Amino acid sequence: MGGWILAPIFLPVAVGVCFLLPLGREKVGDGDGKALSRLHILTGIVLALTAVAALLCAWTGDRSFTLLELMDGIPIYFHIDDVGRLFVTVISVVWVLVGFYAFVYMKHEGKERRFFGFYLIVFGVLIALSFAGNLVTMYLFYELMTLTSMPLVLHNGSREAIMAALKYLFYSMCGAYLGLFGIFFLYKYCDTLRFTAGGTLNLTLAAGNTTILMIAVFGMLIGFGAKAGMFPLHAWLPAAHPVAPSPASAVMSGIIAKAGVLAVIRVVYYVVGPDFIRGTWIQTAWMTLTLLTVFMGSMLAFREPVFKKRLAYSTVSQVSYILFGLSALSPTAMEGALLHVVFHAFIKSALFLTAGIFIFQTGKERVEDFRGFGKKMPNTLWCYTFAALALIGIPPTCGFISKWYLAEGALEAGVGVFGWLGPAVLLLSALLTAGYLLPLVTNGFFPKEKAAVETQAGDPPALMLTPLVILAALTVLLGVFPNPLIRFVSGIAASVL
Amino acid sequence: MNAIILPVLVLFPILSGALIPLLPFKNRTHMMVYVEGAVLVNSALALAAMLNRPETEFILFRFTSNLTLSFRLDSLGTVFCALISALWPLATLYAFEYMKHEEHEKFFFMFYTITFGITMGIALAEDLVTMYCFYEMLTLATFPLVLHTLTREAVLASRTYLYYSLGGAAFAFIGVIFILIYGTTPDFTAGGVLDLAAIGSRTNLLLLIYVFCFFGFSVKAAMFPFSGWLPKAGVAPTPVTALLHAVAVVKAGAFAIIRITYYSFGTEFLRGTWAQTAVLVPVIFTIVYGCSRALKETHLKRRLAWSTVSNLSYILFGVALMSPAGLVGALCHMVFHAVMKICSFFCAGAVIYRSGREYIFQLDGLGRKMPRVFGIFTLAGMALMGVPGLCGFVSKWNLVKAAVDSQNPLAYVGIAALMVSALLTAIYMMTIAVRAFFPAKDPKYTSEELGTAAERTGENEETAKDGGKTGVSHAVVPYEEVSDPNWMMLLPLCIFVIAIVCFGLHPQPIVDAFEKIASAMS
Repeated sequence: MGGWILAPIFLPVAVGVCFLLPLGREKVGDGDGKALSRLHILTGIVLALTAVAALLCAWTGDRSFTLLELMDGIPIYFHIDDVGRLFVTVISVVWVLVGFYAFVYMKHEGKERRFFGFYLIVFGVLIALSFAGNLVTMYLFYELMTLTSMPLVLHNGSREAIMAALKYLFYSMCGAYLGLFGIFFLYKYCDTLRFTAGGTLNLTLAAGNTTILMIAVFGMLIGFGAKAGMFPLHAWLPAAHPVAPSPASAVMSGIIAKAGVLAVIRVVYYVVGPDFIRGTWIQTAWMTLTLLTVFMGSMLAFREPVFKKRLAYSTVSQVSYILFGLSALSPTAMEGALLHVVFHAFIKSALFLTAGIFIFQTGKERVEDFRGFGKKMPNTLWCYTFAALALIGIPPTCGFISKWYLAEGALEAGVGVFGWLGPAVLLLSALLTAGYLLPLVTNGFFPKEKAAVETQAGDPPALMLTPLVILAALTVLLGVFPNPLIRFVSGIAASVL
Repeated sequence: MNAIILPVLVLFPILSGALIPLLPFKNRTHMMVYVEGAVLVNSALALAAMLNRPETEFILFRFTSNLTLSFRLDSLGTVFCALISALWPLATLYAFEYMKHEEHEKFFFMFYTITFGITMGIALAEDLVTMYCFYEMLTLATFPLVLHTLTREAVLASRTYLYYSLGGAAFAFIGVIFILIYGTTPDFTAGGVLDLAAIGSRTNLLLLIYVFCFFGFSVKAAMFPFSGWLPKAGVAPTPVTALLHAVAVVKAGAFAIIRITYYSFGTEFLRGTWAQTAVLVPVIFTIVYGCSRALKETHLKRRLAWSTVSNLSYILFGVALMSPAGLVGALCHMVFHAVMKICSFFCAGAVIYRSGREYIFQLDGLGRKMPRVFGIFTLAGMALMGVPGLCGFVSKWNLVKAAVDSQNPLAYVGIAALMVSALLTAIYMMTIAVRAFFPAKDPKYTSEELGTAAERTGENEETAKDGGKTGVSHAVVPYEEVSDPNWMMLLPLCIFVIAIVCFGLHPQPIVDAFEKIASAMS
């Protein structure tokens, strides 16, 4: 039975690889209308099948599966637990919706065969990452995720895009190797690298070597934090996310940045154990870094005129909300963090899809060009408005709930000065968020002067708009009916703390 | 099996190689069949000897009562022997295609085959003196291969190579003498042969001699500050660079260091002393230094050569940990690096051969024209970076595991160096792959652009006169006409890819074998 785990992993990877191989039909998917629709249909079917298979695997009982023994005691091992379920659900929903959106959007970027090939491969790799049952398996798919998602960034082939993609690769690799450095030490000082709620660190074995172990663990936090855009390894994110095609930026910000969060959760709560970190300099340094990133990201977003870049800085800030919640090491803060994982994934994907629609319909990228578009494309702008309100954290949208839990968790965590500093920074950042997201809404619906350039552009085709509407609706619905989700994440938090 | 097989393994390639210029071959194909046949026969004999290991030694020649030229196939020698006899036939096959347009082919294959026998001699040497003899001969036999193209750069490079190697061997010779005097026996014995009673209070002297000896042999293993010759020797034809300067010659240096550390001086004597620190520091430095130089280098083959410098120091790092686990890591990397690096060099050679492009900035978009070669190159690059599931990760894992176990702070620094090096490896290998597969602009060179590209090459040659350009003077082929090479080049590449993946996914048998070798040390 456990072998079914492999189905949602290998199906998209296999199909994706077939797209990339020349197979004697190099032209397919590039320009040829009929072949293009065949490509879309095939991609759509594979996306849907994979998502269904992944969700079925995840929600029908605990499964584990050992693929092979990489070395003695280091198997490639998959195990589905609640954290994996949460992530795989979010990933599947966003990936499929953005995939359908991309069918239309990618028409103006070209090279669709390559794009959808890598898009499918990354999907499979991400599912494997969520299902990974030990640290080495997770590391394997973490590396593969970096390597396979890089071509999504450099898709348009401009010099800027390639430089950004290489920057993404190097920062991610730097992070991954910091992580690997830690894995070597954890292998020595943990009972097992298999994920176990509460950690597996063997304190008697580690006694006397705590200094190097702490350095290693801190290195892992910084390293895996790179993917999540945490200072000091955040610089790739504002470079790479905006140059990618909009569907790719949406999943990079919404999902791939969360892979870093997943890795941090696994390391802290499932291998090292929160008790080893609580009250040490690691926790202090980590909290400082996250709060710094929250503030810095918001500030940079506030003064950034290019829309997609502004959203990328916003991701830097928002993902560090999640990391802040994790660093507080209290159950409520962790609940807040997990809620924000879900909510931010939907919100940020919706925002990037909006940005994509603006670019697709008008070719404009700067914020000040978006005056008066509310009349031309009301549906798009309404979706944007809801997502923006959710990101700021205004009830009844979902962002309010996660931020409430984050702040409450910080206050009750007993982390000294961070108990009040954390919520204060979150509040300040929320104000800045309002400052950098809402002008688009006001200028969009109520332009002070006439639109800079008259344009005939209206709302986009239904295939593009529907995913956006669904995501925007989710941000509101989850805010109104959050209880099942809250119960689920509090179950996770209770199991590890 | 009778021990007579051992000198045959050494002498057969030497003799059949020496005959090549004398034999009247009707055409090139006949020579190809002869050379490949000789190499294959020797590899088959080696396989037979390894499967059915002769228990006794074979004394070829006796200088004095205890100074002999003798062979014995022990477990460590088997590893090196297996490595070279697996790679030599494949590299020879590749060389036939690559050397098609070169001159002096007969002399090339003569020395190429002779080198096989001499390297075999190093693997099979029973004692330090025999190993030393073949070590010196290796320098002399490979010297003409570097010289091959007879260009100014090649002459300079081969001279550098000769000076470095002979100088290093002289230092190593000091160690040989001391082992003869202070050891109980000149033969290699697991765990070391030093007679502690004879040493008495001269421990520090012996440690100093060990450091000399280590540095001496490390010249061939291209440790800083003796690494300069290796990138320069890249002027040799690619089969030489790939097989000798990534595997046979440089690994002979690493192998000799394993022999003196684990089989002559003994790790009991060395571990925890200042001598260990003295060798660890330059080794760790070289790991980072080699990668940084690789990153700076724009010439494809020289970049790979600098990468070799760094990776050889991975092996030396494992050796210098002076624990059985460290030896396992070192042996893993010795074998796996050989496969990965020869694979990347063959890809580079195929690119030079088919497209005439040697500099990395000329490779834009070639991935579409040579998808197989660049696909394999990317895979080899990922293996070098240490992506799990490929063989590079296995050796890295074992090396670092040994370093963590040693609980030596300097070893922790070494782990950090390995991680930095892995990052730099990712940068210098992946930029090539990205360039090839995702060119920044439309890769279809107009004739104008091709001209400017050639000019840029010219400039670079002038600035890099010292380093020299690869002697092979292939003209730059227009983009449209570039394509994947034929089966003689692709077959070895495919075999290496299979090896990289298989060793990566299922390394346990081979790691177990190495652990068995290492367990004899304690």
